[in-house]
Amino acid sequence: MFPGASADPASAEYVVVGAPLDASTTFQPGARFGPRRVRHFAESFDDYDQHTEQRFTDLAVADHGDVGPTDDVAEYLTFLRGTLADHADEGRVPLLVGGEHTVTVAGVRALDPDVFVCLDAHLDLRESYAGNPLSHATVAHHALDVADRAVILGARTGSEAEWERAGADDVTVVPPDEVADWDPDFDGDAYLSVDIDAADPGYAPGTGTMEPFGLDPATMHDAVRAVAPRAVGFDVVEVNDRDDGQAAVLAAKLLRAFVYAHAAGCIAGCGAHADG
Amino acid sequence: MPRQQNEVRDLDEGSYVMIDDTPCEINSYSTAKPGKHGSAKARVEAEGVFDGKKRSLSQPVDAKVWVPIIDRKQGQVVSVTGDDAQVMDLETYDTFTMRIPEGEDLSPDDEIEYLEYEEQRKIV
Repeated sequence: MFPGASADPASAEYVVVGAPLDASTTFQPGARFGPRRVRHFAESFDDYDQHTEQRFTDLAVADHGDVGPTDDVAEYLTFLRGTLADHADEGRVPLLVGGEHTVTVAGVRALDPDVFVCLDAHLDLRESYAGNPLSHATVAHHALDVADRAVILGARTGSEAEWERAGADDVTVVPPDEVADWDPDFDGDAYLSVDIDAADPGYAPGTGTMEPFGLDPATMHDAVRAVAPRAVGFDVVEVNDRDDGQAAVLAAKLLRAFVYAHAAGCIAGCGAHADG
Repeated sequence: MPRQQNEVRDLDEGSYVMIDDTPCEINSYSTAKPGKHGSAKARVEAEGVFDGKKRSLSQPVDAKVWVPIIDRKQGQVVSVTGDDAQVMDLETYDTFTMRIPEGEDLSPDDEIEYLEYEEQRKIV
């Protein structure tokens, strides 16, 4: 169980769902251990958040457990989408913990946001990678099948074709040195995806595809808190077990920051269990 | 009750299943594994055959579920009144009234196919 996520799922406002998919990782594998690591390294956090003056255990967070992947990734994404959609239909905001970034496709399909906001070192705008249309490098491409717009924060690498695609009107790329000054200037609701490799590898080495010159944790923290009140769902992905917990502890902290900021910014009636 | 019991693993897209005591047609069937030593879990997303409502179930693949036996029958349109058609079954000569599906244009003497399950009928 994610520490503090002790609410009864039936009356919860938020639900942690682990998605330990590790199928298309191209460099350092281990994303399958992400959910376990993120839960473990969240154990040392205080319940109280001084920024929003809230306790995590007061915010009705439940833990669904992990949804185990099968060999058929397309079918797994269908299953995961349905699971997340069920939670959303019952008024719970899904907090998906990967697993490789591909699991985000299920989250976006389940929640149908207007805007896909993503913290990521990579553009992920490929139509396929290494012959795999469901590679972790295709996430933003798939998200744009559902969302009208993609905003990619901290992106600093991609193929020539991806940078060309990023030049279209429906994609906004905010380079790492401009993320601190970025404001969520989009219309509609958002799905927020955090690929932990958006952080500089010095802060989060435990990830599949490290990319230097990345974001510092405080900038990521601010970006997550800025988007959270307008988000219908959240994920943090690409944490693996190849460090001493740096990537996992950052991921866990960002997940909690999302919940605090979403709950604080939530206007009355945005949850189904406002009386809970 | 015209229904039989099957295991979840025998279901497939396009086949029927009872969810919440309602016959449904399956739109999507997918599986996930809950753990190394548990049985795989299947998720079925379906739509009510007669009410069109979306329903889903998530169960181990070896769980038992009820599958409705829905008859496909032949009928002939006797008369049309607004959105409803009076139809005569071509085998039993029973007549009954059915809602005409949106976009369908029926006239008297047209031969149609319809689904029937426990007094519920639907033109296909």
